[in-house]
Amino acid sequence: MSLLTVRRLSKRFGGIAANREISFEVAAGELVGIIGPNGAGKSTLFECISGFYAPDAGEVELEGTRLTGLSPDLVCRRGIARTFQKLRPFQGMTVAENVMVGALTRTRDVRHAREQAHEWLRRVGLLEKANAYARTLSTGQRKRLELARALATGPRLLLLDEVTGGVDQRSIPALVELVRELHAGGLTLLLIEHNMRVVTAVAQRIIALHLGEVIADGAPSAVARSPKVVEAYLGQAYVA
Amino acid sequence: MNPQLSVAALDVAYGEFQVLWEAGLEVAAGEIVAVLGPNGAGKSTLVNTISGLLRPRAGSIRFEGQRIDGLPAHRRAGIGIAHVLERRRLFPFLTVHDNVLLGAHNARARPQREATLARLEALLPLLRTRRSQLAHTLSGGEQQMVAIARGLMAQPKLLMIDEPFLGLAPRMVEEIGVLVRRIRDEQGISILFIEQNVELSLKLADRGVVLESGRTVLSGPSAELLRSAEVKRIFLGEFAG
Amino acid sequence: MKAYAPALAFFAAAGLAPLVVDDAFLLDTLVLILVWGCAAGAWNIAGGYAGQISLGHSAFFGLGAYAAALCGVRWNISPWYGVAIGAAVATAAGTVIGFLANRLRGPYFVIATIAVSQVLLLGAARWRGFTAGSEGIPVPFRAGFWTLGIADKRIWVWIVLGLALAVYLSQLYLERSRRGFQLAAVREDEDAALSLGVRARRLKVAAIAASAAFTAVCGALWAQYVGFVDPLYVFSVDLSVRFSLAAIIGGLGTALGPFLGSLLVTTVETWLRAEFGGLGSHLVGLYLILYGSALILMVRYAPQGLMGFFYRR
Repeated sequence: MSLLTVRRLSKRFGGIAANREISFEVAAGELVGIIGPNGAGKSTLFECISGFYAPDAGEVELEGTRLTGLSPDLVCRRGIARTFQKLRPFQGMTVAENVMVGALTRTRDVRHAREQAHEWLRRVGLLEKANAYARTLSTGQRKRLELARALATGPRLLLLDEVTGGVDQRSIPALVELVRELHAGGLTLLLIEHNMRVVTAVAQRIIALHLGEVIADGAPSAVARSPKVVEAYLGQAYVA
Repeated sequence: MNPQLSVAALDVAYGEFQVLWEAGLEVAAGEIVAVLGPNGAGKSTLVNTISGLLRPRAGSIRFEGQRIDGLPAHRRAGIGIAHVLERRRLFPFLTVHDNVLLGAHNARARPQREATLARLEALLPLLRTRRSQLAHTLSGGEQQMVAIARGLMAQPKLLMIDEPFLGLAPRMVEEIGVLVRRIRDEQGISILFIEQNVELSLKLADRGVVLESGRTVLSGPSAELLRSAEVKRIFLGEFAG
Repeated sequence: MKAYAPALAFFAAAGLAPLVVDDAFLLDTLVLILVWGCAAGAWNIAGGYAGQISLGHSAFFGLGAYAAALCGVRWNISPWYGVAIGAAVATAAGTVIGFLANRLRGPYFVIATIAVSQVLLLGAARWRGFTAGSEGIPVPFRAGFWTLGIADKRIWVWIVLGLALAVYLSQLYLERSRRGFQLAAVREDEDAALSLGVRARRLKVAAIAASAAFTAVCGALWAQYVGFVDPLYVFSVDLSVRFSLAAIIGGLGTALGPFLGSLLVTTVETWLRAEFGGLGSHLVGLYLILYGSALILMVRYAPQGLMGFFYRR
């Protein structure tokens, strides 16, 4: 059985169909990239999966358990965690406290949560900043904080929304390496990325969206060469 | 050869979030230049910095030889740069006429605004036929034309348009494309525009500049960029054809 | 331990004062400082810790006050029952308002809370059959602890100090507990908190309900102390504003803040009344000018409130 099943997911906003009958499955342990030009519906897809939007039609299932339309906190407790494209650290709390909020979803004990938080911070390379206030972090560090915080909730599936967005070129490889390590540790990941170099380097499989529909689903090399994808991004002139 | 607009080594950030890293481009007088790139590459940020809506942390912007990066946005309209914003941004509850007239707000253009308007009405008949209509009741294409007209009322030497074809039907896209060409051909105004649609842009522009992750990575004549494997690689990664 | 020095000092001073102070006026002021401090602390649970700013908390205060008064006047039972009944009714009302908090954002929620308190005001003022209407209820004085008929102000200080300690410790608990962390996250960014599995809606309702219960207890005790319940006062917007003001000036979201804020606000107010006594409506204007100025200065120069002077965050 696949870990995540998205079946004929549809979502409209007024006259615009942001997601049209999107269907795909993700097996446990996969690392799948979601790409598509602006307005393709990638963010809407994430919002529907994570419970911030309720889809108009279609189903989202995690190992057979129906998640469609559940509230975000319920989705998280069932095993799907996410990061946000526009970083949202808890500014008035320290780095460790931020991660503790995630850990407290899995454990009732505050001390235990603090230990777990420190462990996750060590994994993402932020341990030295544990007692600093979240608002003092650089963008790259905030990205790691969001990661640690989401991971602390102990998810089966992690949705990463533009994890390299706004990060300077020099810091990207280290961040990508971190994502790879997490994946190697057994985590299933779904990534939205605009940076094609990052996606093609790290994903085993890419799903391409355009105007709300899936136009390609397969290995990165195949998807990048798919005529539909080339046309969606660049225009007919570039097709072969 | 001195470019009309010269942007160099621009660093722009939103608080902690740096978006542009040493970005730059040039526009020669009378050129049509397209700014392209994947989403999040910083195209709008670049144009917003040129028009003064954003302040750079480092770098320079020169217009007709003079540095303008210290100039506040409303002054830049006065020296010859006009900016048509993404999604038009007309004043929805003002008429077409009022919207367009507001374009000539700056001190240089204001005395001649009736004359400028008359000239523009010849170029765009709908300015006359729809003059009393409220802006929000117009179609997307019509709004785009009014927005461009509003930009032209400032009597610019350089017109910058952010995504002129966004959300428009194919026929409208063609009409806007023709309009842009006419503005350059008939009035010698340089045009810098941002677009998602790569093929369309390069067929309209003389030159293209490609941004990726906040840097200028490619620039050259449209003919070169069209069908270029390098462009494919920027948008679609290493595996692309 | 050093971090608690200010709190220890405050409560110790309050506890010892009745032993050294004889002046009825000063003791009275101390009782009021503690009562308003408790009410501000109760408000702080919803406003400071949960981030739900309400200007309708007088609704709960009034419910508590009326519960205590009616116990004495109508049902002839101990006003301690009034404390319990008031807390129970207020908890129900708080749950309703918590429900509103999940539907309304920011300014709309604030307006809704004001509306609730004013509806209760009108109800109490009109429902003569039940509440003796706008004349208010004089609370009968029957000597004895069980009837809360206590003439000695020193005992009152200790009674209210007991409540103050309960409110203070509850806030401390909130800061250190699992629920407290989650609540802080909701306050900072509700969507991000939701994405981490925090039951934001439930927590907000619980915080408001708890805040309501404490406020009602304050109201009940105050009614017994002062001896008269006037609907136009106990349900007034003025009173709601005072609670929030004391908490904000003292330090929003800190355990001791509301008490420090009340110390400042109450002493200033008492001094004003003493200096300009007898100038009824004149006084109201002066309070507001001072309150407003204090708020502006606070927000501009000391957004952490008085507590900010003790701890730089």
